[in-house]
Formats: sequence, structure tokens, C-alpha cells
Amino acid sequence: MPSPATYEQRRQTAGLFLLAPSIVVLLAILGYPIVESLLLAFQKVQLAAGGIDRQFVGLANFQRLVADETFRRALLNTLYFAAAEVVLVVLIAFAIALLLNHPFGRAGLFRILLVVPWAIAPVANAVLWKWILNANYGVLNGLLQSLGIIDVYQVWLGTPVSALNFLLLVDVWKSVPFVALLLLAGLQRVPSVLYKAAYMDGASRLQTLMHVTLPSMRAAIAVAVVLQTIWSLRIFDLVFVLTRGGPADATVLLNFLAYRVTFNFLDIGYGAAIANVIFVMTILLAILYIRLVRPAGEAAR
Amino acid sequence: MSYAHHRRGGFSLRLLTGAGLVLFVIWSAAPILWLALSSVLEQRALIARPPDLSPQNLTLSNFITVIGSAAALGRGMLNSLIVALFATLASLALGAPAAYALARLSVPRASAIAFLVLATQMLPSIAIAIPLFLVISRLGLIDNLFSLGVVYLSFNLPIVIWILRNFFLGIPDGLEKAAAIDGAGVIGTFWHIVLPISLPPLGAAAVFAFVEAWNEFFFALILTRQSAQTVPLVIAAFAGQYQTVFGQMMAAALISVVPVILLAVLFRDWIVRGFADGMMKG
Repeated sequence: MPSPATYEQRRQTAGLFLLAPSIVVLLAILGYPIVESLLLAFQKVQLAAGGIDRQFVGLANFQRLVADETFRRALLNTLYFAAAEVVLVVLIAFAIALLLNHPFGRAGLFRILLVVPWAIAPVANAVLWKWILNANYGVLNGLLQSLGIIDVYQVWLGTPVSALNFLLLVDVWKSVPFVALLLLAGLQRVPSVLYKAAYMDGASRLQTLMHVTLPSMRAAIAVAVVLQTIWSLRIFDLVFVLTRGGPADATVLLNFLAYRVTFNFLDIGYGAAIANVIFVMTILLAILYIRLVRPAGEAAR
Repeated sequence: MSYAHHRRGGFSLRLLTGAGLVLFVIWSAAPILWLALSSVLEQRALIARPPDLSPQNLTLSNFITVIGSAAALGRGMLNSLIVALFATLASLALGAPAAYALARLSVPRASAIAFLVLATQMLPSIAIAIPLFLVISRLGLIDNLFSLGVVYLSFNLPIVIWILRNFFLGIPDGLEKAAAIDGAGVIGTFWHIVLPISLPPLGAAAVFAFVEAWNEFFFALILTRQSAQTVPLVIAAFAGQYQTVFGQMMAAALISVVPVILLAVLFRDWIVRGFADGMMKG
């Protein structure tokens, strides 16, 4: 006769039972497409009548990438966009987190102002900014002209450099609040004894910031940087609504290019190859994120 | 000078903080206020240079026109509600037990599994969009609310598991032991003891899942055609089609974001604690 299961054994059995449905769902919905996406990148895919014709072509899709001027443009746009966005978002968010961590910054209104831009749909945000930046009637033009900063109304989304940078501004506006929340959570976890000790030792505010706050925040900032980079690589809605990649492909980011190649040009294998470039970049960043967030010693468990 | 006093700082620091907070309020609130204001202004006020903000130009006609004429908006809101509710409830129903198992139930390699689960959330959507589209078309489930809901479930599940696992890790051991001594089984303990004390993180996870599903655009664009279109698609189409009727465009956008803004504002404390804390812990 089997001996009755111990407390721990019963817990483990129940645990596997409770965990299984989630794992099955994730494997079914995400696992299969990941494998399939890797395969597609090495295939030439043609939509034939009533079906799809797939043929392995080795590295041909990736060889095309190297020679493709549009891809190079999109890659550079994406690298610029992601780097500039991370720097701007983390700096602004850190400043806001410091402000809100000050006794003056405790009011509920400030917390509301952090969650509202987060909750607004990226599409609604893009539509709103399309109106703000409107070349004929936009409030930004009206405001800057009233202040005497510009003489005539500007077509903010009309020239390549300006369009990319306004796209950046709009996304920074949308992204800052959430990162500020992350960093505020990090700030509030800095033990207050450290600040008291710095105060007792007669440290100046700047010294406290440099030698107490920043070192304690290193992990939180690193997490914010990595997550924000991953999010920047994903931008799609904004490009789709605000510029459709124009003018002259100046705002084509990799994600949008992969979409356009796949779903507009129906060049599915090549689209998958571009998607895989984003995939690899993201995986590398995700590994970095996990290393940063994972406390030392947990790996052994 | 006391330490509490010191925290507020001298005059110049207080001035700097005050000025910084004012800038922060303007930066965050101005675009949203302009959204709200544009939606209640006459077209002629909006196309004046600069916009004419005098009170006699205030109107509700933008809302009346948008609600009356754009049937797509109502259907989009309903579709979004259905999909978001499904994705939220299903991800809590599957995710809460899974998070409990990963946090407390000595599942082998639990923390490695938890990290793998979280890693799936970081996949770029475009990489899985192409195969998903091919499979879902083959199954004839394009433009179907259920297939969209299941896809959103798979995006929400990892975050729900992550938020809840972080909370469950902090539950004191004694609570479960006491329940076991009283004869409660593992599942009974989870249901009757653990879940009732987990309402704030469950709420944070639910709000997060709902907002993400309500706002999602990319997969809705690829996987729906007409009858299953969600509200972001309707707004994007509306903005493309009526891009010169600015007041109506803003009224439609405002209507579409009000439900999630209300949720976020009402549950802000849970979001701040549950989500911001959850992303920082391992």
C-alpha cells in the first residue's frame, strides 16, 4: 500500500496541477508562433490561390537585408529613436520621481497625472498629437506664434528630421509617467537610515544624491533603461497613425517596416527575417533585464 | 534643525521643487486638457488662428454628432469591452493559481519558470504576428472576438503571473500551515485563505490586463476586418477619414479613453504598488 503523501508532496502535486493550464496556453499561443517565425525567415513564401507556397531558401532573406537600403534606414532610425528615447525618458522620469519623493510631491493629483497618460491608448494619443501638431490649425503652432517663437505656422511632420523627432517627443510624453512610477518605487525602497546617516555626517544634498541615492537606485535605473529600450523597439501605433512612415521613409522604424513588408507587400518570408532581427535585439535585452532584476543567489534555488 | 525639517530642504530647494512640480503638472496635463477642450469647441473656434477659446464657442455638438453618426464607435466600444473582459477574467483565472504554484507550492525550478514566463511578454509582437495570422486565417477565425481575446490572454497572462507571484512570495508561512493543521487542502487554502487577502494585487493585475487589452492596436489591426473591430481601430479609421473635423475627432478619442482613464484613476494606488513594485523585484 502506498504511504500517504507528505504535506510537501501534496503541495507539489497541487502546484503542478495549478500551473499546467497557464503553461499550456502560453506554449500553444506563443510557443508555436515563435518556432514558426524562425522557420519563415529562411523561406520564400508565396500566396498562391487557396494556399501558401513555402520553400526553404537558406540565408537569402538575410542576404537581402544587408543590401536593402530601406532596411538600413529603418535600422538607423530605430537605433536613434531607441537610444534618444531611453536617455530622455529615464532622465525626465528620474527628475519627476525625485520631485514626487519630496514631501511637497505627495499630493494625490500627482499620482493621477502619472497614471492617466499610461492608460491612454497609444492610438488615441497619436490622434491627439496629430491634432496638436497640425500644420494649419495646431495648437502648438498657435502657441509658439503667440509667444513670438515662430513667425509662420510650421509643418512639424513634413520634413524628415523634424518628423522623427516629433514622433520621439510624443512617445517620450507617453512613456515618462510609467517609468517615473518604476523609479519612484525604487526611490521609496532606499532605506531612510542611509539618508539619516548622510545627514548626520553633514553630507550636502548633492553629495547625498551622488553617494546615497544614485548607488541605491542603480538596479532600478538599469531595469528602467532595459524595459524602456524593449518598449521603444516595439513602437507601431504611433507611426501608423501619425506619419505612416513618411516623409520619405524618415519615420519607418523596424517594427513598422516588418509590418509593411509582410502585410502590405505580402513578402512574408522577408518580413519574418526583419521581425527576427527585432526578436534577437529584444531577447538580448530581455536576458540583460532578467540578470539585473534577479537577486544574486536565486539562481541556486 | 530636525531631520524631518531637513528633508524639505532650504528655501532654494523648496523653490526648485515647487517650480519642478508646476512644470511637471503642465507637461502632463496640458495635452490632456487640450484633448478635452477641443472636444467641446465649435469647429470655427478650433480653426481660428490662434484657437478662439471664448466661452460662447463651447458646444456638445461634437459628442452628439459622433455618438449619433458613428455606429462603428459604439460597436467598437462593445467589442473592446467584451475582449478586454474576457482577457482579464481568463488571465486572472489561469494566472492566479499559476502564480500561487510558482510562489508557494515547491514546483521544481519555479523561479526559472517564472522568468521564462515573463520573458514571453518581451517578445516583439511582429515576430509572432505573422505565424499567428497564418494559423488563425487557416482556422477561419479572422475577425472573430474569441480569437482576439485568446491572443490578448496570452499577452496578459505573464504580467498577471508576475504581479501576483511577487505578492504571494510575501505571504507568511504560518498562514498556510495553520490552515493545513485545520484540515484545509492545498486548493481550499488557496481559495479560502490566500485569495481573500490578495484583493489589491488581484485588482492591480486586473486593471493592467483590462487597460492593455482595451488599448491594443497591432493585433486588432491584423486579426480583425470589420465586425470584430475594437475601439482603437475605430479611432484610427475615424481620424484618417474625418481628419479635418477636429472637434469630432477629439470627442471620439475622448470617449474611447474615458473608461480606462477612470479605471486607472480609481485604482491608482493598487497600480502603483502592484505593478511598479512587481517589475522591480526578482
